[in-house]
Amino acid sequence: MSTRLKVSMVALIAGLTLSPVLRAQTAAGDGAKKDKWNSVPPPRTSYVGKKPSGPAPRRDLSGTWDAAGMQEALGTSGALEHPALFPNRKGSEGGRPDETGIEHPLPYTPLGLEALKANKPSGPGVRQVHAALANDPADKCDPLGFPYMELWEFRTVKLIQTANQVILISPFYGNYRIIWTDGRELPADPDPRWNGYSVGKWTDDYTFVVETIGLNPKSWIDHAGRPHSDQLKVTEEFHRVDRDTMELTMTINDPKMYTQPWKALDKLTVHLQPADFDIPELLCSPTEMAEYNDQIGSGAAGEKKK
Amino acid sequence: MRNAVRVTLLMIVGLFALSLSLFAHHGAASYDTSKTITLKGTVADYVWANPHVFVKVDAKDESGNMVRWNIEAWNPVTQANRGWSKNTFKLGDEVEIETRPVKNGQPIGQFAGRIMINGKQFKLHND
Repeated sequence: MSTRLKVSMVALIAGLTLSPVLRAQTAAGDGAKKDKWNSVPPPRTSYVGKKPSGPAPRRDLSGTWDAAGMQEALGTSGALEHPALFPNRKGSEGGRPDETGIEHPLPYTPLGLEALKANKPSGPGVRQVHAALANDPADKCDPLGFPYMELWEFRTVKLIQTANQVILISPFYGNYRIIWTDGRELPADPDPRWNGYSVGKWTDDYTFVVETIGLNPKSWIDHAGRPHSDQLKVTEEFHRVDRDTMELTMTINDPKMYTQPWKALDKLTVHLQPADFDIPELLCSPTEMAEYNDQIGSGAAGEKKK
Repeated sequence: MRNAVRVTLLMIVGLFALSLSLFAHHGAASYDTSKTITLKGTVADYVWANPHVFVKVDAKDESGNMVRWNIEAWNPVTQANRGWSKNTFKLGDEVEIETRPVKNGQPIGQFAGRIMINGKQFKLHND
């Protein structure tokens, strides 16, 4: 038994060690791509040990930014700092009504806990349900809204800066955000919007802070079904570390659902891509989703075959 | 004992390989993560679409009856990053696909490893 355990551990370590190699090989294969369309971002391993890229331009976020191979892990089990998983990233098979026992528990209010239980995620995590039984707005191609669009498969985004706005384009599920920089105040009692109402300001030459309110409570915070109310206020910090690197921090503050603010992202590193980087399209099409659910989702979740 | 070690090793390696793929968004709960089967058959359709690319394969079951399987991969962008395209499978291709079947016995599965297309191994970047 102990031999078996030892062998298993060696195999596991070997597997873990090997994985960056496998990913690097993938990238090498991708390097063979000749044309400039549907660009493939470099894997995370390509940034390891990279020297600082020199000073960033002052008060400038513009460019194409990629979360470096994190796309398959980024928030699939919930906000990056609070994945809905047991210690050691276990428990992705779901089946639980709440998040008791997860590694980084969230401070739910009683109302928050009730709202959590009503949201049925199809993504991996302790509360995952079969795709056909889920009520994730994303599974119906409803708008992801904010902050869901940034907490799930962040992938590659484009930031455009104009004289009075910062515009974020997230081709994953076709999202965009407008962040006003003209000095206006947030609205007092706004009608709900999926992407909310955002204002941003520079707190120093390399740090841009954005506040967003007025978010539609029909949307989820993340792919683990974390709820929010109409009282949600999201604060983001875009911190330009050097020319090629930026860190994103996001704080969730919703006193109806959570007893205290919590960080959904804590210095998530994103990397500047070349100016000719062509972000591939990844849209949610209701008819394609219906076909998928018809052919795969509902069958997979159905009764056991006699 | 030696067999037990081999099985454990395979399971651990298998589990690790799986962990790379677990971070997808649809219905991983439906799959039997302890099992892979090799499906041999003919491509009947190939759907390059969101949320997940999938291929339909006509394969004979144990009793010789033709069964149409739906085997899913991930989304088109992830698949393209792994070297797939809209041309990876063509109607009529003879394929052998390592498949992770769903728990409920329906002919639905996930790509789980080796893919042979018309006798040639398809070089997968990672899966």
